[in-house]
Amino acid sequence: MTEFVTKPGVKNLQHPGEKLITTHCCYCGMQCGMHIRLNEKTGKVVGVEPRYDWPVTLGKMCPKGVTAYQTIDHPERITKPLIKKNGEFVESTWDEALDLIEKNFKSLQGKHGKDAVSVFGGVSMTNEKCYLVGKYARVALGTRFVDYNGRFCMSSAAGGFMKTLGIDRGSTLPWPELEHTDCFFMAGTNTAECHPTTIQWLWKARDKGAKMIVADPRETPTARIADVHLDLKAGTDSALANGMMHLIIKEGYVDEEYVNERCNNYEELKASVEKFTPEYTSEITGVSIEKLVKAAHIYGKSPRSVMMFARGVEQQAKGVDNVTLYTSMALLRGQIGKFASGVATFTGQGNGQGGREHGQKADALPGYRKIDNPEHVKYVSSVWGIDPSEMPKAGVSAYEMFDEIQAGNIRAMHVICSNPAVSAPNNNYIWDSFNKLDFMVVSDFFLSETAEFADVVLPASSWAEDEGTTTNLEGRVIRIRKVKDPIGESKTDWEILKLIAERMGKGSFFNYNNPRDIFEEFRVASKGGKADYSGITYERIEKEDGIFWPCPSEDHPGTPTMFQESFGTPDGKANLAAVEWQEPDENPSNEFPHILTTGRVVFHYLSGSQTRRTDFLMEQCPEPYAEMHPHLASKYALQDGDNVYLETKRGSMTVKVKLTKAIREDHVFIPYHWGKELSVNKLTNPALDPTSRMPEFKVCAVKLKKV
Amino acid sequence: MKKVMYLEFERCIGCRSCQAACRECGGHDAKERNYVEYIDFFESRQTYPMMCMQCKDPACAKVCPANAIQITEEGVVLSAMEEKCIGCRNCTFGCPFGIPKFDFEENKMYKCDMCYDRTKYDISPMCASVCPSDAIRFIDHDEMMELRRRRTQMNLIEGKKPSQNDKWQYVPEFFGVYSD
Ligand code: SF4
Ligand code: SF4
Ligand code: SF4
Repeated sequence: MTEFVTKPGVKNLQHPGEKLITTHCCYCGMQCGMHIRLNEKTGKVVGVEPRYDWPVTLGKMCPKGVTAYQTIDHPERITKPLIKKNGEFVESTWDEALDLIEKNFKSLQGKHGKDAVSVFGGVSMTNEKCYLVGKYARVALGTRFVDYNGRFCMSSAAGGFMKTLGIDRGSTLPWPELEHTDCFFMAGTNTAECHPTTIQWLWKARDKGAKMIVADPRETPTARIADVHLDLKAGTDSALANGMMHLIIKEGYVDEEYVNERCNNYEELKASVEKFTPEYTSEITGVSIEKLVKAAHIYGKSPRSVMMFARGVEQQAKGVDNVTLYTSMALLRGQIGKFASGVATFTGQGNGQGGREHGQKADALPGYRKIDNPEHVKYVSSVWGIDPSEMPKAGVSAYEMFDEIQAGNIRAMHVICSNPAVSAPNNNYIWDSFNKLDFMVVSDFFLSETAEFADVVLPASSWAEDEGTTTNLEGRVIRIRKVKDPIGESKTDWEILKLIAERMGKGSFFNYNNPRDIFEEFRVASKGGKADYSGITYERIEKEDGIFWPCPSEDHPGTPTMFQESFGTPDGKANLAAVEWQEPDENPSNEFPHILTTGRVVFHYLSGSQTRRTDFLMEQCPEPYAEMHPHLASKYALQDGDNVYLETKRGSMTVKVKLTKAIREDHVFIPYHWGKELSVNKLTNPALDPTSRMPEFKVCAVKLKKV
Repeated sequence: MKKVMYLEFERCIGCRSCQAACRECGGHDAKERNYVEYIDFFESRQTYPMMCMQCKDPACAKVCPANAIQITEEGVVLSAMEEKCIGCRNCTFGCPFGIPKFDFEENKMYKCDMCYDRTKYDISPMCASVCPSDAIRFIDHDEMMELRRRRTQMNLIEGKKPSQNDKWQYVPEFFGVYSD
């Protein structure tokens, strides 16, 4: 395999004494292509070089991507296992750490049953590792309690796509086609800050006259460049989508032929959007009638449109409904399964797509199989070499695992590649739950806020110290290359899982020598499933610029455009959504009069464990702030830079005020990348979506006080 | 070097990737030499990038009493030469765009050199390479002229009106990339 992959005629700067190794960014779902610069003498990573010929991102990177390499040889890396003794972490040997894990896992399972030990995974790691986390929980530990941080990220999109389209692939079209799109309807996505390298495609399309409609309570850098900015109140997406569909139907923009042939429920949908007149929609959403009508006409008239959304619509207690409604908007226009049009969610985590397909989820098995389907269990058991009766039942979702801790059912937890002490809602509850655990293990490469609660911290490798595959936001499976050996005594996550499996007497099921062994097994495990990777090989990925799943055989070209002929539902038809508007779980009251919403800034990634350790990014954005309109601020005599105290039913915090008119007057926005006293997730609402179990990060009621 | 830097200010999304990337360039000592500024954060999130204009007749070099600022054969205006710069800071005041930066510890000026160690091989500078919004581009002169004409063309087709929430009007027009 080649380390440095480039196309003929593309020039890169090669510094003497260095080599370039081709890989992708470790952060968001864009998975921007890059080459890492390695000093051949010292073996240290020294910088980054753009990968101009990666077809999805063309060398572009956001500031996180440019500085990503700085975390690899970072001085704060954990290089030895840590064991907590008398409240302090002490460096130890791997044997000591594994002894302790074995002793505690076995004794707790002996006393309380197998399910007493739980696994909390993450999707900022390769498919190989994500696949192994599910197998590790079910086979090595035999527990049903496994879930992952995708519940805080992608699960509503997944749930919504499953309902409407029958298959959850983040984007139904490949990104380079966006250049030919005529209209982008973007709801709850601050693409310019969260997936910046997409913007180049939007401009390419706009240079040809494409239009952009953005729904967001804030005039984000994305909304700023829109033709229509639908400045809706947080949590009113289902009303907005119903209102848009009302107009699309009324104005005759429905592709009747497509809908009749390829969709169910049209009559129900028609009936349910009937009452969403622009007046009614405007009343609920706070968006002016004029803007609603303008947006509907632009969207309705565009021959090729893409419906795009992200956490803004998904991180709500009605997230799945929102996704089904917005997807239905694309269906009414007959857009899904065609060139340069369709529907897409912006995958937040690097491998948010791949990581949710392969059985880290409480109810899922590899290849998007279901644990409550006996056929699926039988097949996966046969690949794993276990008896189907040994397969644990479905567990519970990420946030609900903390309820199980509180109830005393979960006594130990192994957290892998995740930092729920920052990223889970209602932090105080999470912290209290960690303290209640009898035993906690964390695998990470920095001492995250979650790791601080652990009894044992295992030093994991960074993304550049192992190879494997990820699946980007398009559904394209790509190669992550190994740049160097793991630092100090740190080990790759799969080696760690293998070592613990051996200690639990299940080593024979984890007989891997490298990630490729795992990939080969996982190809078989996904075969015949919805997310079928069986035709994908490392060699093909390299040669073909990645491969889109499903790819059921080695001579199959992969599937860049989904649903060209039929949908993934049993009858092959898409299910249009007929869903009522329901208000958010928590609404402003006399006591808590304003709406608090949270999100990202361009300089940080998720819980910030990596980006808060990167100098450039911290210089740009060192701490969270409360962004609000000067009109709201003046009610509390707050000026730019003043401290404000914010409180919800669950928690409180004090941060500096940042004033701008580029936000609704009734909203306060705080970015969520910080821990402890700076964590806005102390305030957020854990109300869960009934299907996806996604918490309502995006809306809660808050009160303010000047301090 | 037949290529030019082409800036489209209104495309800037304020990500500061260009600045992070500037630090990555070989001779840049991990210090960025370009700027990204809010026009007025109270009003809008519009930002714009600023970098050296690589003037034909650079004021910075002209006002330098020590002749420390060299111009390459391709016309790139380099940082002050370490051994010549006397730290008078004339250049920082002389430049009409406020570009040269001053390192008070090392007592010398440093500035954007268009990533000369890249551009001398016709490889795009770091800022233009990474800018996710194509606000900064490194393109052929002909392509630049075509893009400028394209703007007018699109305005004519569309019946020239700035789209909602656009704050393009705030951008100083003397940078000359605007046909309107
Ligand atoms: S964080 Fe996302 S957009 Fe930024 S460089 Fe990495 S993959 Fe690209
Ligand atoms: S990289 Fe481009 S979009 Fe980002 S701040 Fe610089 S000029 Fe603006
Ligand atoms: S530093 Fe200023 S004066 Fe000198 S070349 Fe650049 S823009 Fe011109």
